[in-house]
Formats: sequence, structure tokens, C-alpha cells
Amino acid sequence: MKDLKHLIYFEDLLQEANNSLIRQAQGEGRKCIGYMCENVPEPLLNLPGCFSARLRAPRTGSMEMGTYYLTSFLCEYSRAMLERALEGGFNFLDAMITPDGCTMLNRCVENMEVLKTMGADKEGFFFEYMEIPMKADYNGLDLYVLQCKNHILKPLQEHYGVDTSDAAIRSAVAQHNRICELIRAIGEFRKGEHPVITGYEYNVLTLASYAAPKDLIEEKLEETLEELRHREPDPKPWYKARVLVVGSEIDDTDFIKLVEESGAFVCADRFCYGSLPGRDPIVLTEDEDALTQICRQYMYRGECPRYMNTEKMDARRSYVDALAKEYQADGIIYQQMKFCDPWAYEKMLGSHILREEYGYPVLAVDRPYAIGSSGQMRTRVQAFMESIEIKKIHA
Amino acid sequence: MAVKKAKKMVNPEKIRGDIRYGDLYKPGGKVRKRREWRGVKDTLYDYSRWLGIMFTLGKFIAVPRNVKGMLRYRWMANYLAVPMMVDRHTQGLRGEYLRMCHTEQDLIIIDVAKLLNNLFRGDRRIGKDKAFSDKVVLVDENEMTAVMMGFPTLKGLSRETPSTYVSVLLNQHAAEHYIDVAQEYGLAGDVCPMPEAEAGVSIDDDAPVLGKCAIQCNTTCDGSLLGNGVISRRLEKEDGIPVFQLPAPLRHREDDVQEYAAEEIRRAIKFIEEQTGEKWDWEYYFECARRVNIATRARNEWLDMNRTEYPQIFGSNLALYTETNYMAICGKVPEFEKADKKLMKLARKAYAKHKMAAPEYRHRAIVWGVQSHFYMDFLVWLLNCWGIVPLTDMLSMINTEMIAETDTPENREKAYYDMAWLTENMIMRNRTHGGYRVLLDELFEYVEMFNADMIILWEHITCKALDGMHGLFEDKARELGIPLVWVDHQLFDPRVVSRQGVRDQVNTFMRTVMQEEPLDPSLEVLEDGNSW
Repeated sequence: MKDLKHLIYFEDLLQEANNSLIRQAQGEGRKCIGYMCENVPEPLLNLPGCFSARLRAPRTGSMEMGTYYLTSFLCEYSRAMLERALEGGFNFLDAMITPDGCTMLNRCVENMEVLKTMGADKEGFFFEYMEIPMKADYNGLDLYVLQCKNHILKPLQEHYGVDTSDAAIRSAVAQHNRICELIRAIGEFRKGEHPVITGYEYNVLTLASYAAPKDLIEEKLEETLEELRHREPDPKPWYKARVLVVGSEIDDTDFIKLVEESGAFVCADRFCYGSLPGRDPIVLTEDEDALTQICRQYMYRGECPRYMNTEKMDARRSYVDALAKEYQADGIIYQQMKFCDPWAYEKMLGSHILREEYGYPVLAVDRPYAIGSSGQMRTRVQAFMESIEIKKIHA
Repeated sequence: MAVKKAKKMVNPEKIRGDIRYGDLYKPGGKVRKRREWRGVKDTLYDYSRWLGIMFTLGKFIAVPRNVKGMLRYRWMANYLAVPMMVDRHTQGLRGEYLRMCHTEQDLIIIDVAKLLNNLFRGDRRIGKDKAFSDKVVLVDENEMTAVMMGFPTLKGLSRETPSTYVSVLLNQHAAEHYIDVAQEYGLAGDVCPMPEAEAGVSIDDDAPVLGKCAIQCNTTCDGSLLGNGVISRRLEKEDGIPVFQLPAPLRHREDDVQEYAAEEIRRAIKFIEEQTGEKWDWEYYFECARRVNIATRARNEWLDMNRTEYPQIFGSNLALYTETNYMAICGKVPEFEKADKKLMKLARKAYAKHKMAAPEYRHRAIVWGVQSHFYMDFLVWLLNCWGIVPLTDMLSMINTEMIAETDTPENREKAYYDMAWLTENMIMRNRTHGGYRVLLDELFEYVEMFNADMIILWEHITCKALDGMHGLFEDKARELGIPLVWVDHQLFDPRVVSRQGVRDQVNTFMRTVMQEEPLDPSLEVLEDGNSW
């Protein structure tokens, strides 16, 4: 297929945490609010006068300082983030909001705070930690709303005078939804037998929507969507099998690239920093305040394994099944970042259940934060592709 | 804050009997060469208590269904090592200290025997007593049992306590099989081995099946929370036992999580009522609450004593008893009230006489982090080998506040918050969660409060909450100039770091950094790799 016109532009945005659009937005006087977890409702960080940046540590190399502070047993995401913070790579932030979601991310951010890695030269800078419900129900919703008020809206208002009114929140949701709808519309092109977008390209676009101010990428996403409508697919499928990637945080486009270089087409992305369900639009009605509606939708759609009630646990697996059907996946790759406790368990159970109860071919792997061109991973994915091909032949 | 070196204190009283405890070990064996000689009076007392333990075990095994349980469940073999566990914890103890240890441990043994008896009675495979099983509410091992404080007719039983938790206390190798089972099933090998082993028991279908319903809790950590998912899957989908998941907020010191926590307690109680048909009994609740307060007052007083030159209930005597009494008992068993009072009497008596538990006290240490479960008697070793007094440990630094104990309409409402507070402040998780202040800052506050001159920092290598503070612990200790000894271990798995591996870390530090010689050189290297 012909290269996407803006692919290099979006790839460039992912080369630095402090990318050109963040610098542009801050140059316009807007405040950049950093966050590291899906459980922080994104629209609340995109109120008038501020914007969100979901933190990444692109081009991670050494993590020696991060490893000293966190030991080699914490996931490489948390270590890479702390390393980058210690190097001064997140000095551009105006605030940092994190949930006490998984222990490792929480510890990572606490180290950032205690070690005074950021905010020294910014008067209004603050760290905030949120409690996030562990069950999706009315009590969890009450907690979520209260936590968002106390740890997002109140500090934003107090430190930066941000308008946190219902109208402002609705306006932020509208902007958020425009991006979500664009990303999801682009994602629809993955469903055909002859997809006009690769999993890698889609991953780049999706990641950019987390890492850059949304309003500043909207135009190029629209153009990309239009381009895809006319893009000529390859005459025959370039892949051996369609796979759904499920699991923990992936903000490294090399992982999807490696999987696709091994003969797969990543037709759906059910992982943190992915679009399913991260780019589901938020539907607001007029009969209830926007904050409550946002929290409800984040809580009920959340696929984070820290949700512990049985309904949520079962729903995580049935959601994977539904996606596999919708995107016609031939197989599922359950991946976890090495040392991630929540996904270690979810991967174990999920891979068994999807294989034994739903009948999918499943590959379960763990991986480092920055995959590079891992030969081991390539071999495993290639073997998985071959096993799916053999099954197809025998079918 | 300036950390002063503790003054060396020599015990004016001669320790009677054996003083080279390492000589009692049999190379490569499971048990020691012989029992410890403690002088006539203490040896006789110790022997009488040993007979008492044998009587408890004999009484347990005399019930036919318990023999069946012994043959059905792999982990039951570990209970042959009960007397050896007590011997390990009483090493070097004389007089009041020996009596304190037996008061605690013998009671814990009786309590665990009752737990096992009840589990087998209701077990669908063994006792098949359905009427009894219908009165059972299963609880996690790592869960405050506060929500059972108002159900006098129900039994809150933990299957994980005897299958994994106590088993590893008895036999260091007890959990290895279940860890392997979980990993063979696909679980990563870098998670905490405690929930991993518990999940392994469930995967192996090696837990008694009983109960009308179950209450699971997210304490203590991510691994524990997720491991519960493995267990609840079998409970709900195969055994037909409904499960209520009780989430305790992580940021438990924050005001804005308390209403959420209290509401979850209300819902858990309602769930139990609906499932069992029993009603919450406020009178019984406040009776239990009164006993919780007695235990809290006692512990507070022991900790106050430990701040002085003559600590009394410290080390293993403090740690293991606190874990049991605070979390599993939670005011529900009157015998523990009696034990609290007896312990207090012994402690006051010893304190008045300025008694010491070892020939010398050289260092005063705060023991922090998650202790090695396969080497719980390490604290005894610290004292006997190096004269390091473990004044208190992280797991004993729990709730110090009184809860409402009088039945009034206001207190009935407050009770939900009290139960939530206790649950949130369950041992270990009240430190490993709740932000760095409770884990990092308060450690150094305790160092000052207890006049400690050393920190023994257990590094449970797959405890992510502790690992995540590793560098900050070091930075702060360096800043204050306080010796901090890292002691790596893998909680339930001595194949990763052995008991000798644990000891070597202290030995090396004491010899090279502190430039000291051991109090009892025979304890420096022990051949206990195969020992229970």
C-alpha cells in the first residue's frame, strides 16, 4: 500500500514525550497535565486552558536510576518513566495526576514526587493521587466522582483557575469525542479482508491521540480518514492471520510492528493505550451532571484487571470474545509487561478461558517495555502464526 | 533527627542451660539433635508445654474425619512439624519470655486445630456436614475478619490459612508444590508467592469445599486481589458458592475514601445475611469490639515498653501473635482476651525486674518490610546470634486507636467505619499501601520513637509495593546515618533465597560494615536447608 501522507508526522510526535504539539500548546499558555493510567478520566484533564499528556518514555535505553530506586522487579514501564523523570524528561509538565491503581505506577509517581523530579520551577505544579473503585457499582461510582472532584477538578481550579463547570466538562467531552470518533472510524478499516490500514499505522495514530493535545491533531486525523477511504489495499492479504492483541500497557509501536513483521495483522487493540475501549466516545445526556456520566462510563467500560467483582472479571473475557468476532480475529495474543502483577494473573486466566471455553488459538507472552527487535518474541509470534495456518489447512 | 548508637547492655542474670544453640542442629536433618536444655525449671515447663501440644495434636487426630483430611490434602503433612515450629520460636528463651511464647503459640495451635477441625467437618469431601457447612462463611487468609464480628452463630473460616499460611510456618518447603502448580498453569514467576501458592491450591483443587458463601478482600496487594479471581472462579462456577468481593481502599489515610469503605462493609454484612439467613447481632459485635480494644491497649503498652531499655514482648513474640490476634481473631475468641491479660502480666513482671531475653543487647532494631514466612524465627536468631533486639516489626505497627465498644445508635453507625478502618488497616497492607508516608516516613519516625540504631529491612523480592521504595529507603537511611541491613527473601519460597542465604546477608553486614563478632558464633552458619 502507498504510505499514509501523515504517518511520519504522527511517528515524529511519538519520538519525544515533550513533542512539538505539547510545546505549541504550552506556548499558547495552556497547562499540560500528565497522567499514566487509563483510570484517570481523560476529558477532565482537557478542560479549557489545559490538556492531557499520557506519559511515555520513547527511545528508552538505560534504566539504571529507575532500577536503583524501584529495583529490577518493578515493571519496566514504571522504571522507564522514573528514569525519564530523573533525567528531566518530564519537566515540561504542569501537574501530575495518578490513580493508586496498580502498585507499581503508584510507586513510580511517588518516587517522582519525593525525588522532586519535576515542578521545581513551576509555581502551580502539583501531584495528586486518586483512589479508583475496584468494583463497578453505585458505591464505586460515588467514590469515583468524589475522587475526580477532589483530586482533579479542585486542584486544577485552585492551582490554575481552570473552569471546572458542567458546561466546561461537556465541552471537553465534545472535543474528546471528536477524536474518539475519528480514531474509531479509522479503526473500522481494519475489519475488511483486505484492510487498508496496518495495525502498526493504526497504533501510531491511536498513540498520538493520547500523547498530544487533541485539538492540534484533529485536522490531520480527518485528512488521514479521508485518505483511507480512497487508499488502495494490497491485491491479496499480506498477512497469514488476523490477531487481536490483549493485555497490559503498550506504548511502544515497535511491538505491533514486530508482531506484524512476523506474519500477523493486528486487527484489534484491547490494551492500555489502545482504542478498545480507550477510544469509545463518551455519551452524555442532559438529565445528569457530566462528571457522573463520565465516571460511570469509565468505570463500566474499564478493562483493567484490578476490577475485582465477578461480573467485571467475566466481562473482560467476553469482551475479548466479542472483539475477536467483530474484527474476525483468527487468534489472540495475550501479552503482559514483565513484572506486571495484575496482568500476570489476567493473562493466565484469560488465555486459558479464551482457549478452552471460547475455542480461540491463544498465544500468551510477556515482554519488556521497549521490545526493540526481540528475536525471542519474533520466534514465538511466527510459531503462533504457523500454528494458526496449520489449523486453517486442517479445517 | 540524629541516630545514636545504642549502648551495649549486658544481662546481669546468667542464662541457664545451653548457650550455643547452633550445636543443636543436625546437619541435613529435619529436626535437631536434641531438645534445648534450659535449666531444670524452664526445661520442665517447656516439656510440659510440649506435652500439651502433643495432646492438642492427639485430640485432633483422634477424630476420624481429620485422618481422612490428612490423607486427602497434601498440605496436611506439614502439621507433623508443629512441635518443631514451637521449638524454633522458643530458642534461647527462659523465664517470662519462654512463658510468653508458649502462651501465644500454644493458643494459636489450638485455634488452628479448631479451624482445621471445622474445615473438615463441613468439607463436602470429608465430613459432609451440610448443616454445619451452611453456617460457614469463607474468608481470605489476608483479610480482617471484622465483618464477622456480629455473627455469633456463623463461622468465618479461612481455607488459605491452614493450606498455605500456617503450612509454610511449619515447613519452609510447604508451598513449593503449589507455586509450581500455578506457574505450570501459566502464571508468571515474578509475582508474590503467597497469592501464587493460594491460587496454586485452588488450581490443584486441594482446598476443602464448604461454606454458604465467601467474602474476598483486596488486601494485601495487587497479587492478592488478582489471585482471588482464580479462587472465586472455582468457588462460584464449580462449587456453587457465591462470593462477595470486599474492596478496602488503598489510600486508607484519606478522609474521602472512608464512606466508600464503610458502605462496602454494610454491603458485605447484608450479603452474609442474605446468603445465610442470619441477622447481624449488635450485642455480640460490641462484645467483640471490646476485646479488640483490649488487644489494642495491650499491644500499645507492649510497644511503649519496647521504647525503653527493657523491651519485653518483641521479636517473634510480638509479630506472630499480633498477626493472629489482630486479623484472624479480631475480638471473636474470648481465649485471646485471657492470653492478652496473661501476657501483660508476664511483661509487666519482667519489666519491673529489668529482665533481658539474651546475654547481651547490642543493637536496637526496627524490623521493616514483609518478613520471610519460611523463616519466621529469624527474629529469634537475630537476638541470639548478634544481640540485635527486634523492637518491633512492620506487621505489628497496625491500628492503635480504640473503636466504639458501647451499644448506642451513634456507635452502631460508627461501627461500620470502625470495621472499615480495621479492614483497611489490615496487617502489612496498612504499610504497603496508603502512600509513601506510611511506609517510608513513618519508619524513620519509629526509629526515633523507639531509640533504634539499626533497621533490618526485609526485601521480599517480589513485593512490588516494597521494592518501589527501595532507593528511597536507602537515601533516607544514608541521610540519617543509620545502618540499614537489606535482607532479601522470597516469602514462601526458600529455593530462591535459603534460610542460610537470609542469615548470610546479616552476617556479612555485621562483620564487614559493623565490624562485630557474633554473640553466638555457632548460629552463624546452620545446616537447616532441609529442616522443617
